[in-house]
Formats: sequence, C-alpha cells, structure tokens
Amino acid sequence: MSSESSKKRKPKVIRSDGAPAEGKRNRSDTEQEGKYYSEEAEVDRRDPGRDYELYKYTCQELQRLMAEIQDLKSRGGKDAAVEIEDRRIQSCVHFMILKKLNRLAHIRLKKGRDQTHEAKQKVDAYHLQLQNLLYEVMHLQKEITKCLEFKSKHEEIDLVSLEEFYKEAPPDISKAEVTMGDPHQQTLARLDWELEQRKRLAEKYRECLSNKEKILKEIEVKKEYLSSLQPRLNSIMQASLPVQEYLFMPFDQAHKQYETARHLPPPLYVLFVQTTAYGQACAHMKSSQPPRQDKTLSVAIEGSVDEAKALFKPPEDSQDDESDSDAEEEQTTKRRRPTLGVQLDDKRKEMLKRHPLSVMLDLKCKDDSVLHLTFYYLMNLNIMTVKAKVTTATELITPISAGDLLSPDSVLSCLYPGDHGKKTPNPANQYQFDKVGILTLRDYVLDLGHPYLWVQKLGGLHFPKEQPQHTVIADHSLSASHMETTMKLLKTRVQSRLALHKQFASLEHGIVPVTSDCQYLFPAKVVSRLVKWVSIAHEDYTELHFTKDIVEAGLAGDTNLYYMALVERGTAKLQAAVVLNPGYSSIPPVFQLCLNWKGEKTNNNDDNIRAMESEVNVCYKELCGPRPSHQLLTNQLQRLCVLLDVYLETESHDDSVEGPKEFPQEKMCLRLFRGPSRMKPFKYNHPQGFFSHR
Amino acid sequence: MEVFQALQRLHMIIFSQNVSPCGKFLAAGNNYGQIAIFSLSAALSSEAKEESKKPMVTFQAHDGPVYSMVSTDRHLLSAGDGEVKAWLWAEILKKGCKELWRRQPPYRTSLEVPEINALLLVPKENSLILAGGDCQLHTMDLETGTFTRALWGHTDYIHCLALRERSPEVLSGGEDGAVRLWDLRTAKEVQTIEVYKHEECSRPHNGRWIGCLATDSDWMVCGGGPALTLWHLRSSTPTTIFPMRAPQKHVTFYQDLILSAGQGRCVNQWQLSGELKAQVPGSSPGLLSLSLNQQPAAPECKVLTAAGNSCRVDVFTNLGYRAFSLSF
Repeated sequence: MSSESSKKRKPKVIRSDGAPAEGKRNRSDTEQEGKYYSEEAEVDRRDPGRDYELYKYTCQELQRLMAEIQDLKSRGGKDAAVEIEDRRIQSCVHFMILKKLNRLAHIRLKKGRDQTHEAKQKVDAYHLQLQNLLYEVMHLQKEITKCLEFKSKHEEIDLVSLEEFYKEAPPDISKAEVTMGDPHQQTLARLDWELEQRKRLAEKYRECLSNKEKILKEIEVKKEYLSSLQPRLNSIMQASLPVQEYLFMPFDQAHKQYETARHLPPPLYVLFVQTTAYGQACAHMKSSQPPRQDKTLSVAIEGSVDEAKALFKPPEDSQDDESDSDAEEEQTTKRRRPTLGVQLDDKRKEMLKRHPLSVMLDLKCKDDSVLHLTFYYLMNLNIMTVKAKVTTATELITPISAGDLLSPDSVLSCLYPGDHGKKTPNPANQYQFDKVGILTLRDYVLDLGHPYLWVQKLGGLHFPKEQPQHTVIADHSLSASHMETTMKLLKTRVQSRLALHKQFASLEHGIVPVTSDCQYLFPAKVVSRLVKWVSIAHEDYTELHFTKDIVEAGLAGDTNLYYMALVERGTAKLQAAVVLNPGYSSIPPVFQLCLNWKGEKTNNNDDNIRAMESEVNVCYKELCGPRPSHQLLTNQLQRLCVLLDVYLETESHDDSVEGPKEFPQEKMCLRLFRGPSRMKPFKYNHPQGFFSHR
Repeated sequence: MEVFQALQRLHMIIFSQNVSPCGKFLAAGNNYGQIAIFSLSAALSSEAKEESKKPMVTFQAHDGPVYSMVSTDRHLLSAGDGEVKAWLWAEILKKGCKELWRRQPPYRTSLEVPEINALLLVPKENSLILAGGDCQLHTMDLETGTFTRALWGHTDYIHCLALRERSPEVLSGGEDGAVRLWDLRTAKEVQTIEVYKHEECSRPHNGRWIGCLATDSDWMVCGGGPALTLWHLRSSTPTTIFPMRAPQKHVTFYQDLILSAGQGRCVNQWQLSGELKAQVPGSSPGLLSLSLNQQPAAPECKVLTAAGNSCRVDVFTNLGYRAFSLSF
C-alpha cells in the first residue's frame, strides 16, 4: 500500500529535496492532508546508519523514560503525574519516531527489494539474451560444419582422369589457361566435359536401339520366309526319289534308316553309327570312283520299330496291363499251380528276351563272298550277341571234313585269342541266371547268337573285371577304336575259312593243292601221297597215344578243329594228327606224327620223327607263302610228304636183311647223317634242289 | 607269340651240358643255338622256388645247334656248326655277353660247313681237340689259337672223343663204326677197333655207328648202334656186353659204376660185371648227355644232370631218383 501511494504521489511531489532531518518528525504528522510527501525520497536522503543510531537512541530514551515513569510511579507524588504525563508525551513522541523509523525501514526494504528485483530482471534478460546468442552460435557452427562437410554429387561421378581430360576435351570446354590454376574452375570444366560426353553417348545409344529394332524386324521376316520353305523342300525330296534310285544315291533310304536308328537301344545304336561311319570312311579312301557308299560294308536295321516303341509305353497303359495281368493270373494260377517248371521257363524266356530291332552288317570280300552278321541286344542282360552266316557267289559243295569250317556256330570262334563266345561277358548276369536257374549261356547260344567280347566292344560295352560297375553304358570311343581291327580280322577269317574249304575239297580227293608261287618250296618229284583226310573229334585227338605232348602243353583246347591225315608210300604209313586253331593262319596248325614202317615210330622213340615234326611245326614261317598265307596248311602237308620221302630213302640199309632197299635213294643229299642224334637231311634247298641239314 | 614259343619248347633238344669251374652253374646248349646258364646252387638250396629252375640267362650262342661244350678253368668253349667259340665264365651271366674268340678249323670242303660233334681238352698240352663232320680230328692250341694237327683216318663223321690220360692218347668213335686210338705226340693212329665186326656186340638193325665213348686207361666202354660193350684196350677184346637194346648216346665211368643213357627215358647204372644195378627214369623221352658235377669247389652241388630230347634238364641229387628238372 505504501508503494502504491508512493507511486501516486511521486510525479506531483517535488519539494522533498534538501529537507532537514528534524523537520521530518513534524511532517510525518501532517502527511495525510494532501501535501505530497514522499517518504521514498526521504529514504534516499537519510542515511540508514544514522537512522539506526537514532533507533537505538530512541529505544534507549524510551527505556529511560519508562524507567523514570516507573520510578515516578513507584514513588508516587503529585508532580509525578505531570512528570509522568510529560514523560508519556515524550515517550509517545519516541513511539512516533519509532513508527517512522519502522516505516522508513519498510520503505527502504521495499526499495531495496524493488531494486534487486529490477536488477534481477535485467540480469535475467541479459542471461536470456546470452543464451539465445549462444544457441544461435551453436546453430551456426553446426550449419557451418554441415556446409563444410557437404559432398556434392559431382564428386560421385567418375570423371575421366586429368590427362585424358586435357587431351580429349575441346579447348572451349577445357579452358586450360583458366582451369590449370583454379581447381574449382577445373572441376567445373571437367563436369562440363562429362556432361558433353554423356549427351553424345546417349545420342549413340538411341541410334543403336533403333538399329536393333530394325534388324529384329528383318530377322522376323526372314524366319517367316524360311519356315515357308520347309514344306516346299519336302515336296522336292519326294519328287527326287525316283532320280535317287536311278543314280544309286539312296539318301532318302539313309535318312529313313537314321529315323529307325533312333529307336535302337544304346549299344546297337553305337554299333550302327560306328559301322556306317567306317563304311563311309573306307569308301572315301578308295575314292577313284564317285563317292558312294562302300559296297564292301553295308549296314541295315531290321526288326519292328513298333515293337521297339511299344517297349516304352506310358504309365497309365501299364497300369491297365497290371490289372489285366492280375485278372489273368487269378485264372492262370488255378490252372498252372502244379507246373512250376513252366513258370520258370517263362521267366527264363523273359530274361533272355531280345530287343525287337537288330542291326544287320554285310561284309563283302574280294571274291564276292559275303559275311552276314546280325547283331542282337539282350535287354535284361545288357549284352549283345551276333549270328553269322557266310554266303558265297557260287554254290559251295561242302566236303565232309569241312563241315565245321563255315558253320555259323564256329566260324567266328576265337576271332581274338580266347574269345570263344560261350560265356556271358557281363559278370552281373551270373546273379540273374541263378535266380531263374540258367546254368550257362552256352545252352542258348544257338538260338540267341554268340556274345563274343569283340561284339561287346563294337557296341561300346565294356565290362571291366576288376571293378564291376553298376550300369555299363555304351561308349562310342571304345567302339571306334576296335572297329578297324575287328573288320579286318573278320574279313581275313572269312577268306581263310573259304580258302580252307576249297583246300579241303581237294585234300579229300588225295591231292595236295600247291599253288604255283609256292612250288619252289618243294622238289619237283614227290612220291608219297596223301590218301586220307578226315576230321576227328576233340576227344579222339586227346586219346591218341602220340599226341600227349600237345595236350599237356595246352595247345589242344575244345575250340580247335582236329583232323587226321594219312600219307603213304609203299609199305610205310604216316599218320598225322592236325590241330587247327581258329586263328589260322596267323596261328599255325600243329602236326603230330606216327610212322608205321618196320615198327611204330613216334617222337618218343625216333629222333628223326621229332625232326620232321619240328620241320613242319617250328619252321612254318617258310611255308606261309604269299600273304595272306592261306597256303600254310597245304604247304605243310606237301612238306610232310617230302619229309617222308627223305626219311624212307635215307634209311640206312640193314645188312642182315636180304633183298634190296625198298626205297632207293632218289633225292640228292650231301650227307645222310649229321650230329649226335644222326639227323636226316630234311631241309630242301632251292634252286639247287638238294637236301641238307639245318 | 605264345603258340610259337610253346611249339619251340616242345621241339627243343638239349645236346650238351657243362658245369662251371666253380661248380655252381650249369650251361646247357640246345638245337636252336641257345645256351642257358642255370644256377645249380640256387636250384638246390632249401629256398628254391619255381624261378630257380629257370635259366639265369639265355643267349644266342651259335646259328646252328650247340653240339658240345667243355670248360677250362676260366672259359666255356662251345661248338656247333663248324666253329668253336669261347666265353668267359666270369662274364657269362651278364646281359649281352659276347664271345671271347671264335675259331674255325681248316675244312676241306666248302659246300657244307661240317659240324663239330665233340670237344676234348688235353690239359698237359693246353690244347683242344675238335672232331665232327669232316671226319678229322683237329688240335688247336689254346694259347695261340692255331690249329696244330689234323688227324685223318675215319671214313665217316666222328661222334665222340675220349682221352686216355696216361699215354696220352685220344680215342675217337665215329659213324663208320670204328673206335680209333691216336697218339698225340706222333699224330698217328695207333689202334683201331671195329666194333661192328664183333658178333657179340654188333646189332645190324641199329647200324654200326659209335655214339659214345668213355675210357679208364686200360678199359673202354662204347655204345651206339652196336650194344654197349666194355673193352680191354690192350687186347682189343670185348669183355662185357651190357644187355641194353636201345642205342646209347652217352656213357661215363663213375666210381665203380658205368652210367649210360640214350634212347629211352632212363639213366642206366651198370656194374662192371654187366649187371644192371638201376634204371632211373628221367623226364625226357630220350637222353643225349649226362653231366656229373664233381668240382671240388662246390660239394653241395654234386649232382648228376641228364638232358636230351626235351627242354628239360633232369637233376639227380642221389643216383636213385630224379629230384627235379630245370627247364629252358
């Protein structure tokens, strides 16, 4: 309230400056009458220290007065009342002073507070300003750092290197003189150049795109054209068929064959491909004629393609089959229960089933005889078999002893040494056989064909003995590597067999057919004659008493052919047992001799018989004759006759026996005996025509 | 090719054998001109395997058959088709062994080269005597290699030779049926025994040829076409005739026995009285040579080996049975 009042009075009152201190007491009584009396100003004038002293004095005075009053009161008296009254008035005055002082103190206090408050407010305002400014500073600093860290996008662009830039950019962009010094300008220039380049490239890209569109359209057009061509070509092919036949260029036929070939099982396919390729290669090598398929080797596929396709029926058909077969089985078990054997038989037939397609190969030899080979594939056993047949240009009259030579069963036996084709080459088959009770494939080869090893190789099937594989797949390279040798061997085999065939016909009539180019091996006159030539069985051969050595040496197996020849002169009879290896004529026939003349002489008891055998068996290379040495057997037989002549004529005369020698010596010999074993001169020397020792 | 090799082996004839000076090796020569050296010590040892019965080395020595072989203390001399070759025993086991020298005696005929059927060493003279197809005995000095003498006399080729130590004389038996004695110092024929003329021993159906000879100074045993007979040399009379029908190709004195072999599988052991003590079968159908390993350096290899019309050499460790066979 005081502050309000002082505020009201402040602007009106001017008189307060310079008023003395004692005047104050008086004015305090008259203050209320409208005189503007500013105690605030008084407060400013008065010294607070003095006021304090005054306060203390006043309090002391009061205390004194009070004490006096006290005294007076206590003493009592009349003047006391006046003194007391006096003192009371003084003390009232003192009380008034005190009140004033109190008011002044309050005002001072209020002023002080106001000043403080003001100052505080000012300070607060400054403080706020400071804070604001500080915040702003911080903000600005942040902004500055942000600005400083700013990475402009232009730095992410890979600009070309400086050297390149200066080299490539046109001078109005690169402005070398300006930019060299100023990195900012330089960067700007580079960016400019970059932009320039990009624009150019974008231009190019657009051009290329449009080109590509054009070309694609062209391609489309051409494709359309070509696809419309196909049906026309087909019609041309059809039309050209008669021309092809006329010119012997069966392209269409070959094409059809290839179509069929797609249905062949893999080994037969490999065989087909390789043999066709080989046939064509051979034709090319003999190309003095226009290229046509080599007539000496022709390949064809036989069999039913539909059946082959039927092997790979889709599943729903087979389900039908199953249900059908179930119904059938119910019926059949009632009928078939007692006959397990028939079921087993069926299983066997199933196991040995052949693929419906087969490959036919015709090998033509020089003398117009043909070897027909038919190759089959046994599906469950994964092996191939072959059936062979030899046909000749002219009808052959088979001599009795030559029965086995060209028989389909044995004509291809042991084409490679040891490959007799009676056992299955696939070791896994044994387990399959055990299940259905087949002992060996030998029983079925007549029907199924022979599973020779070379047949497997031609079909690309390889059954390694050491590590049996789970699935053996057909391999073209295996087939190709064996093709040439096998074909050559087949041809030589057929030719040598045919040659033997002819020779046997002659031998059975007692004539040893010696060709003119082998005549030099023998003297002009040969007296001993071949009287018999028969074939004998393997068991008969092994039972002969003079063949034990050959049997022990393992040269008389059951794949060989055995013959007996009889050479006679006078009373002397020479039996010769011959082992003919299927690999004739690269493997020579082996002769074992037994002479019946003045006792029985064999290689056990007569060194000269041994020598004769050695002449024929060991020295066979001289008797081979011109390649392909089909004359070996006949030359050996002729030599045998010559040897018998020499033996008989050079036998020393027994003085104790009467009469002339049975065989006069007609052969010219230098010496009759030589060496510790007293050998006869069995070696014939051409052209001098005399006999000597080896 | 296997068949060809099998045939060669089947028709092989081993003509001659000889033991090395150390006694541990046996050389065998066959009709193809090859010589094989077998290790007797390896084959006889207790760890012998199948490979020990095969030759240690086989080489082609001659073009023709190797009909006879002898050994000096360092060399092996082999002879066959007309020439004699020498090989060093020390080098012979090495591969590609070449002959040390080869000599051919001066032959009269040139149409056919005569074979040399027999070789004989004369240690006192250090010379070698060769005899064979040209019906002469040639003497060759081993030091110089020159041919010093040629002894004529046989009318047909000579099969075998034997040395009579004491005199010294050489006996030769030939196809003409005669056994001739030659004195080396005078180079003349001293004595002739025509065996076939004696009725007790002649066997005309076999012929008259003398295939084998052995001598023990006063005594001589010979066989071949005629029967195997024991002769007393000074009196030229046959004392014992051994009852063997088959012609014998090799005979030798051994201790108090006579061993003979020839046509037929067996090695025959005879007492001097003419009794057959034992007949031990071998593995070849006919035998051509016997060899007794009596070298002092290898007493453990003291064996009798027999070879003939096969590729096998039978080894008899004990004269009673055949122990095993070495084979080419």
